[in-house]
Amino acid sequence: MLRYLVERLTIQDLAKKHLNSSSLVTLFCFSSRILRDQALGGETSVGKCISRTRCGALSSTSTAGAKAASWSLQWTNNASTENAVSSYSGYPYEQKMEVNVPTDVRDGINASSHASTTNLVAENGTQEYVGYASYPSSSTNPGYGNPEYQSYYYSHQQPSNPSSSQQVGASQNSGAPYQPLSSFQNTASYVGPTSYSGTYYNTGDYQTTTGYQSSVYSEQTNWNSGNYPHHQYSNYSSSDATHAPTSTVAATPPNYQPHYNQWADYYNQTSSNVMCAPGTENVSVSTVSTSGYPVAGITSGYSVSSNQPPPPGTTSWRQDPNASTSHSLQVSTAGYNHDGSWKNAPGFQHHHVGQTPSYTQKPLETAPHPYDNRPDHQQLMYSQRPNAQLPTMHEASQNHQTAPTLDARWVSKVQIPTNPRIASPLALGMPKTDKDSSTTADAVAKPAYISVTMPNSKGSSDGGANATNKQRMFPTSFRAYMERTLARCKDDSQREACQTMIKEMVTKASADGTLFTRDWDTEPLLPLPNTTGAVDKDNVDKSLTMSVFSKYKRSPSRRTKSRWEPIPDEKLVENASSAGPVKDAFWNRFKQTEKTVSSVRVEGKVNGWSNAKLVSYQQQFVPGKNAQRPDKKQRLSEDVERKEKGDASSDSDKEQALTAYYASAIALANSPEEKKKRESRSKRFDKGQESKAEIKYFRPKSVGGGNLYTRKSNALILAKSFEDSGSRAVEDMDWDSLTVKGTCQEIEKRYLRLTSAPDPCTVRPEDVLEKALKMIQSSQKNYLYKCDQLKSIRQDLTVQRIHNELTVKVYETHARMALEAGDLPEFNQCQSQLKSLYAEGIKGCHMEFSAYNLLAVILHSNNNRDFLSSMARLSPETKKGEAVQHALAVREAVTSGNYVLFFRLYKTAPNLNTCLMDLYVEKMRFEAVKCISRAYRPTVPVTFISEVLGFASDEKDVDGPEECEEWLRAHGATLITENNGELLLDAKVSSSGLFMPEPEDAVSHGDTSLAVNDFLTRTS
Amino acid sequence: MSYYLSVGEAHRRITEYLNRFSDAVQSQDGRSLKSLLSVSSPHLVSLADALLIFQDWGRLIKNSQQLNDVLQHHLRALHSFRTGRFIDAYNAYERSANAFLLEFRNWESAWAMEAVYAIAYEIRVLAERADRELASLGKTPEKLKGAGSFLMKVFSALTGKGPKRVGALYVTCQLFKVYFKLGTVHLCRSVIRSIETARFFDFEEFPKRDQVTYMYYTGRLEVYNENFLVADQKLTYALKNCNPRSEANIRMILKYLIPVKLSVGILPATSLLQQYNLVEYINVVQALKSGDLRLLRHALQEHEDRFLRSGVYLVLEKLELQVYQRLLKKIYIIQKTKDPSKAHQIKLEVLVKALKWLEKDMDVDEVECIVAILIYKNLIKGYFAHKSKVVVLSKHDPFPKLSGKPVNS
Repeated sequence: MLRYLVERLTIQDLAKKHLNSSSLVTLFCFSSRILRDQALGGETSVGKCISRTRCGALSSTSTAGAKAASWSLQWTNNASTENAVSSYSGYPYEQKMEVNVPTDVRDGINASSHASTTNLVAENGTQEYVGYASYPSSSTNPGYGNPEYQSYYYSHQQPSNPSSSQQVGASQNSGAPYQPLSSFQNTASYVGPTSYSGTYYNTGDYQTTTGYQSSVYSEQTNWNSGNYPHHQYSNYSSSDATHAPTSTVAATPPNYQPHYNQWADYYNQTSSNVMCAPGTENVSVSTVSTSGYPVAGITSGYSVSSNQPPPPGTTSWRQDPNASTSHSLQVSTAGYNHDGSWKNAPGFQHHHVGQTPSYTQKPLETAPHPYDNRPDHQQLMYSQRPNAQLPTMHEASQNHQTAPTLDARWVSKVQIPTNPRIASPLALGMPKTDKDSSTTADAVAKPAYISVTMPNSKGSSDGGANATNKQRMFPTSFRAYMERTLARCKDDSQREACQTMIKEMVTKASADGTLFTRDWDTEPLLPLPNTTGAVDKDNVDKSLTMSVFSKYKRSPSRRTKSRWEPIPDEKLVENASSAGPVKDAFWNRFKQTEKTVSSVRVEGKVNGWSNAKLVSYQQQFVPGKNAQRPDKKQRLSEDVERKEKGDASSDSDKEQALTAYYASAIALANSPEEKKKRESRSKRFDKGQESKAEIKYFRPKSVGGGNLYTRKSNALILAKSFEDSGSRAVEDMDWDSLTVKGTCQEIEKRYLRLTSAPDPCTVRPEDVLEKALKMIQSSQKNYLYKCDQLKSIRQDLTVQRIHNELTVKVYETHARMALEAGDLPEFNQCQSQLKSLYAEGIKGCHMEFSAYNLLAVILHSNNNRDFLSSMARLSPETKKGEAVQHALAVREAVTSGNYVLFFRLYKTAPNLNTCLMDLYVEKMRFEAVKCISRAYRPTVPVTFISEVLGFASDEKDVDGPEECEEWLRAHGATLITENNGELLLDAKVSSSGLFMPEPEDAVSHGDTSLAVNDFLTRTS
Repeated sequence: MSYYLSVGEAHRRITEYLNRFSDAVQSQDGRSLKSLLSVSSPHLVSLADALLIFQDWGRLIKNSQQLNDVLQHHLRALHSFRTGRFIDAYNAYERSANAFLLEFRNWESAWAMEAVYAIAYEIRVLAERADRELASLGKTPEKLKGAGSFLMKVFSALTGKGPKRVGALYVTCQLFKVYFKLGTVHLCRSVIRSIETARFFDFEEFPKRDQVTYMYYTGRLEVYNENFLVADQKLTYALKNCNPRSEANIRMILKYLIPVKLSVGILPATSLLQQYNLVEYINVVQALKSGDLRLLRHALQEHEDRFLRSGVYLVLEKLELQVYQRLLKKIYIIQKTKDPSKAHQIKLEVLVKALKWLEKDMDVDEVECIVAILIYKNLIKGYFAHKSKVVVLSKHDPFPKLSGKPVNS
């Protein structure tokens, strides 16, 4: 374990170095991932179990019960073996340790310090553990019997109760932000003993951090200091109401305690959950397997903490009720991520935020319902995997329909429900994968399946402690081999068959010890199996397992992905759209139904109508992330039902109050715009894919880029898990081998911001891009079209890491067009790219663009420092260039206010310098007129002004003076007519009356190009 | 290595160092702790040599006390530093510094302030070296940025109420140095705000040396922003409080103060410029005195690089209007000696001729524009008659002096 920690540490350091401060978030993701990995190490076996269970549930309902039972057994084993503690408590213990580590990592403390810290924590953990043991409920838990299940619900509730208090608690959080991150963490590590509680929070921190960044992070640290412990103790020590006094923590919200009292029995269980929770979050799937519990526990714990926070002045949390909610959600989300969604973490979280409301409220009603719902849960498991991510509950509804059959069975078996939860995390993982793939690269999806490694781990998992490393133990070459093999598969069935074969191979290889010795690079590929669509249970099983595994595998990729990390908004949309196909795929697999993208829409609808009501229901769920998923779905479906019955009333008044609270958050996810976006997004997928959607998403990527993720992840895993390669820095990765090579032959392509790894088959190779550029240059269409096309070219170039003269040409072309169209933002983008491209020594119109750069800085940014530095950077030769000379002269004219010079230069501007100057003309003229009217007496002829201010191109120009006159009048100048008919500016009068008229085309948001009407006319 | 060092001797040195360190902490002797933490100071060279010889020094620290982390990384940094691996040295030092900062936060009093100063300084210097090393390896230099964020941490550890506050300004100055070097001066703003808005700590209570540095940097910032009045005030403060013996510092301040003063119409004595070797300004001043546009132009061209780098180029360039003013004034004086009754009317053609003589080839329109600007900016009192192309000067004080006020723009 320790060794792993150390390794993690190094990696983290590397990452730190690598990612600059701006990508803090990424870093956090990263760290959390590490945690997960660690957890993984310890708990692989559990993961296996889970997957197995899940498979069973999925494949056949009848067997599900039995499987579940077995699962629980295994679980117990794991716990005992690894931790040498009783099954339940063991986990928390471990987890704590891990949790601590991250803190240290951030601090950059070395391994040794880590170790020590860990120990401390461990001790704590043990102690607590003892405490746990004493509780009957926890001990009885092993089977995940009913009580626990209920506890879930309760844990859910907790959050709901505190909800009001949560915000109060928020204040504490806010206090934290002021302090520096590092300091907090450090404290935590030193505190050691306290750290136990701290640990929890830290965990939370991580997740939170992802969402909220550093400030949140620090906040949590605060909690460590004391709040949490209180909380926990109170829970533990007093199942009865009395604990209230015990908990000196000022923060302990009144609400909270009552709650405890009520559910004393449950509470114990809940608390146990909590214990698990921390681990769960950080921990990987296995933890998840620990069950929805942990998650739920975590959440609850978390929320509590947030409530407690004493410190004053925390504005951030408070202000935003939604925010707070989301916060908790995110925490849970983080848990999710760990469980399944490696890659998409960011997006995922976002998603959660949207959903948050749903979780929050869930009322106590749970208690009565639980059994009924279970069937749904399981159902959810199936169907939800794909959808899990989606905020929308549409699946729930679907599931609901199917559920009835299963119900009976489930009711009897409490355990089963647990499984679903476990499974749900897995499911989550799946969707994410799919999500990634769905946008651009199907390839992404593949890796998930490819990761055949799972089976092995399964076999070994029983082994116990050593299972930890199993996954990582596969040599990279072998993984590559697997990928190669799988990449050849043409469809799902083939792949599955392949996977089976690989699995067998692995088992064999590891049995005779050749797994590591064999040269997988030269190993002949497996013959392509001839399987046809028959998806037997086995396969499903495997694939599931794999998916689980895939999480691990892919986890690294998440880090790498930062580049492509979508902006949150997009992510939401993305989720929605991607979910459709993914889900379909799953659906096919499990149900063999032909659901298509339309499901997405269903989602939208469901959301729409169920908004308000659902909110109330869902909100209660805040606590349990893992559990939430299924639960939530379930709830939703319930809600749906109720709604239909017209029984929309929420369970309690409180909930209703909460509803309002979270309504806004929900609105985010369900707003019409959002829906629209989703729909339009999903439409893209409809195009031409509808018929073969399922195939498409599961078909392996045959193209080089297809394996991108796996390769990356391999590399990363390699780097971090193998001792010898431990020193290998992330920065040393061979990016060249990971670069996408496009295959698309279409010349025209619309620009779409990437939200996931690019799909080679939508990326155009260089020669096509060259044609595309020519096409655009000769195109007669409007700027918007060209801009769109150029952006897509730029994207393709970037994605393929093409840095050559073509790149320069594209950017130059775009910059020029942007100039002509007065699109300064786009121009600036191109300009900054060009700067670095020129700096690389690539030839282009360097002079021309240096001039543009100067002009842009002078005229528009008006930043002296910028100008000074860009001027200082000019080489002597550049300075002699005509365009640059011109730009420098313009600069002089502008700084000295020499309008005569300025407009002369305006008329003689080379290239597109005019365009840039154009944007400054108005200002210059106004200054000039002010100056003229101040300096001249008594009058100035308008013809003179028109000439000097560039209205007339030459003296014979008749339009010039007229235009000038108009302009002068519009700016408040007073004009008089001489006896001889000459129009004069009355300088003295004008000097006090000049003003800058409001631009006629002004729009409230300040950017005319965003005006809808304008946009429409331009695009049409 | 210049001489051979026995393992025993190395061992002795290391243990001695460790002892001194723990003594310093125990006796709360900030000054000696400072010298023990300065990686680049010559005091520790012998220790560094010992570290090279006695590789297993990590073992020796183990049984010392709670500042293990500090020492561990510090010695590693020292080791790397001695062997010229500055990137490693920086990384280790940053860890050590982080660990130290952690401890420092727990100490109620500010006894270790000296040590914090040392760390703040060392980390910046090390980061610069590490960046140089990185750059030579073709990698992105990013350590200075890292040092900047570390210093921010230190800063926040110092800013609350309490005795530690006194060190905040020093760290701020180190931050300024980092930001100016990185060209991210906009980051200074938050630090400045927190210094200047603090009500419970008077600026005068900070150490003098930090005050001067602080004023120097903020004055420079104001020069960039062309807030000449504020810049003048800050730089003058710095100059007044600067240790008169540190001529280099005075020169640095003058480098910015002189252009600022020029732009508000105050000219330095040539002797001052010579004393501090600021000869690049001599011609500029001369041009201002004589209204010699050509001289100004040449002076600017000659030292363009220097002026651009220090950031005063634009300030100096703006002096051109003052030179025009001086030129017109000269013409006015000459006219006055010839024909006092018509002296207040200057024909444009005269000015054009004068400019031509100064190798400034401008046509009537342009010169007209210049005159208009001069009037507009209040450098000339009077008006311009377009029809007759004559500048009509006010009879009373036609060329108002700036006398400490910047040209209004």
